[in-house]
Amino acid sequence: MSGLPGLGILKGMAFTLRRFFQPAGTIRYPEVTADISPHNRGRLQLLYDEHGTLKCETCFQCAQACPIECIEMGGVDTRRKYAVYWGAAETYAERREESALRRSGVEVPDDPSRHWAQVDLGPVRRILEQHDYDPHALLSMLEATQAAYGHLPVAALREISSVTGAWYALVYGTASSYRHFRFEQPARAVAVCRCPACLVAGGGRLAEALGAGLGAELGRIGPTGIGFEWLATHPDGAASPVVALDGEVQPEVDPVNAGDWARALAGTHPASRTVH
Amino acid sequence: MTAVTRRPTLPARALLAGVLLLLVGGLVITLAAVLLLPPLVDFLAANTPLVRFAVAALVLLLITIPVAFIVIYMELKVIARMNLRVGPDRVGPFGAAQSVVHGLKVLAKEDFTPFGVDVAVYTLAPVAVFLTTLMTILVVPFAPGLYGQDFNIGLLYVFAIGGLNVVGLMMAGWGSFNKYSLLGALRAAAQAISYEIPLALAVVGVIILAGTMSLNSIVEQQAGTVFDWNLWRQPLGLVIFFIAAIAEANRTPLDMTEADQELVAGFATEYSGMRFGFFFFAEYVNVFVVSCLVTVLFFGGWNAPFDWPFPVAIDLDPAGYEAWLAFLLVAGPIVGTVALAALLRFFVDWMRWPGALLIAFLLVNLLAVGALVGLAFVTFDWVVGLTWMMVKSFAFVFTFVWLRATLPRVRVDQLMGVAWKWLLPAALVNIFVTAAAVVLVWG
Repeated sequence: MSGLPGLGILKGMAFTLRRFFQPAGTIRYPEVTADISPHNRGRLQLLYDEHGTLKCETCFQCAQACPIECIEMGGVDTRRKYAVYWGAAETYAERREESALRRSGVEVPDDPSRHWAQVDLGPVRRILEQHDYDPHALLSMLEATQAAYGHLPVAALREISSVTGAWYALVYGTASSYRHFRFEQPARAVAVCRCPACLVAGGGRLAEALGAGLGAELGRIGPTGIGFEWLATHPDGAASPVVALDGEVQPEVDPVNAGDWARALAGTHPASRTVH
Repeated sequence: MTAVTRRPTLPARALLAGVLLLLVGGLVITLAAVLLLPPLVDFLAANTPLVRFAVAALVLLLITIPVAFIVIYMELKVIARMNLRVGPDRVGPFGAAQSVVHGLKVLAKEDFTPFGVDVAVYTLAPVAVFLTTLMTILVVPFAPGLYGQDFNIGLLYVFAIGGLNVVGLMMAGWGSFNKYSLLGALRAAAQAISYEIPLALAVVGVIILAGTMSLNSIVEQQAGTVFDWNLWRQPLGLVIFFIAAIAEANRTPLDMTEADQELVAGFATEYSGMRFGFFFFAEYVNVFVVSCLVTVLFFGGWNAPFDWPFPVAIDLDPAGYEAWLAFLLVAGPIVGTVALAALLRFFVDWMRWPGALLIAFLLVNLLAVGALVGLAFVTFDWVVGLTWMMVKSFAFVFTFVWLRATLPRVRVDQLMGVAWKWLLPAALVNIFVTAAAVVLVWG
């Protein structure tokens, strides 16, 4: 707008006049459809049902069907809240910015990969060698892996996939189709009995000490991932007050040593669980 | 045996009713014509000015409808193209019937009269606004011999009637029983009156040069080539007039009277249906009128911009062709249609006879109309003049739309500032310079 008054107006008029002669960007939709590649499947998206729960159950059908293997996913149970990472790494909605940072050379914490990397791969490598790296023996390899780790760590599954050449989707699909395979350490929970007999025998003090040791209120999950709950019924034949760890009665725990026991339990909890 | 009484089908009933209506109606009309026509013709022949008035009023009223439709369509389409859109393309070819549909939509809306309005004023306001616009067209010379009336105070009349526009707006604001409408009307009046002054003063230079206020004379004085137009003698006047005309026609960027996005249409807030439509009908006709005025005053009116060979006198003597003329008129179209259909049938593989005949019929008619229009164009000076006038006027309508597509609305203080601080002094300077030049050069 500097210089001659009215020059800005003339510039604007010239601009709109140029636009006047340019072709319109409109696509007359019902008659003309946009020229989209037949391979295009639109934006990848996870659907939620009417209760707000993810419909995806990480069945890996989509990953197996994907012709260019751009879909990968990991179902991770983070403190009983089921989260699914999916799509190419750049398109994980919650990781997109981290991905951009990483490409620009910035060190970014990568929680899912840390989760995978924190497993000692020695046992699974030995198991693979025993099975001669044969993907046909996948089932027995997986069983051996579960026996070695107590569950099937994602990192171990990835190692099996990359060494045998079987798709990760195939490995994960096989593992997830048998009920006896676990992908997580079984959730740990300390439970106290709240029956009148146990309360009379010191159940209240016991629960207080345990709660302090775990750092959790009754009915909540503590910061270390150990749940603190109450038993529905008094276990048959157990001496009051009853404390159960993962459903197994711990007769040696009493109100006096419960705090130390709980602190020890929280401290020895697998590190992989403390990540999330 | 039960007689099955068949009720006639719907088309049959419609046909029957139509035939009856035609019979009765034809009879009545014939009787009426026989009885009433001779005295009516005598009466009209004795009162030519009355006929002239009736025809002029009718034509003026009717001409506004297609004009408004074309301006609205242009606005929709041109702004769309400048926005890289397609614009209306659903109704009619290239969406050409869009404005007709808009008009029908507005007509079909509820004509609502709010509580507490001054009914007479409220009802008459759109009429007043529209009438002022309509009455301005009366003196616009569209072509040699094609004008409603040639006043010797034509230009004064234009501004006098144009000034009445404010009355209509004030009526709308006052009659609406709504303080915001009244404020809007006051704002509109302030703008209209402010721009009335530079608008009128800008053409004083033209009047000084022309020595007359008759629009016809002003156009006739600009005859010749493009260099004889007032554009070169009154460039400052043209700029002032054009800017003031934008404000007078209530067009963006100077449409503070309406400002539909910000001020909910100001004075027209309480209006709905066709009453609301009439304000905008008037606005669009006004755009056309103002464009015509710019053309007439500064761009030579109906004059061609260069030595235009038309109209030429073509010596047609239909009586000389005798029987051939009848043959040409009667057989020509039929033979032409069939011949064209045969050609189509021969050269276009998928063409069938009915389709070919239909297309050939349309083509022959198109050809005939084209030939007729071409003949009129080269023969009658008013057709040539009207063509040039319309071309120039719609170029200015395009410019108005173009401005609207480009510029944002100005603030109200900027609007008033431009009118009083720049346009008015510039118009005065223009008058003095023109007068001095006339006195010094020609005096």
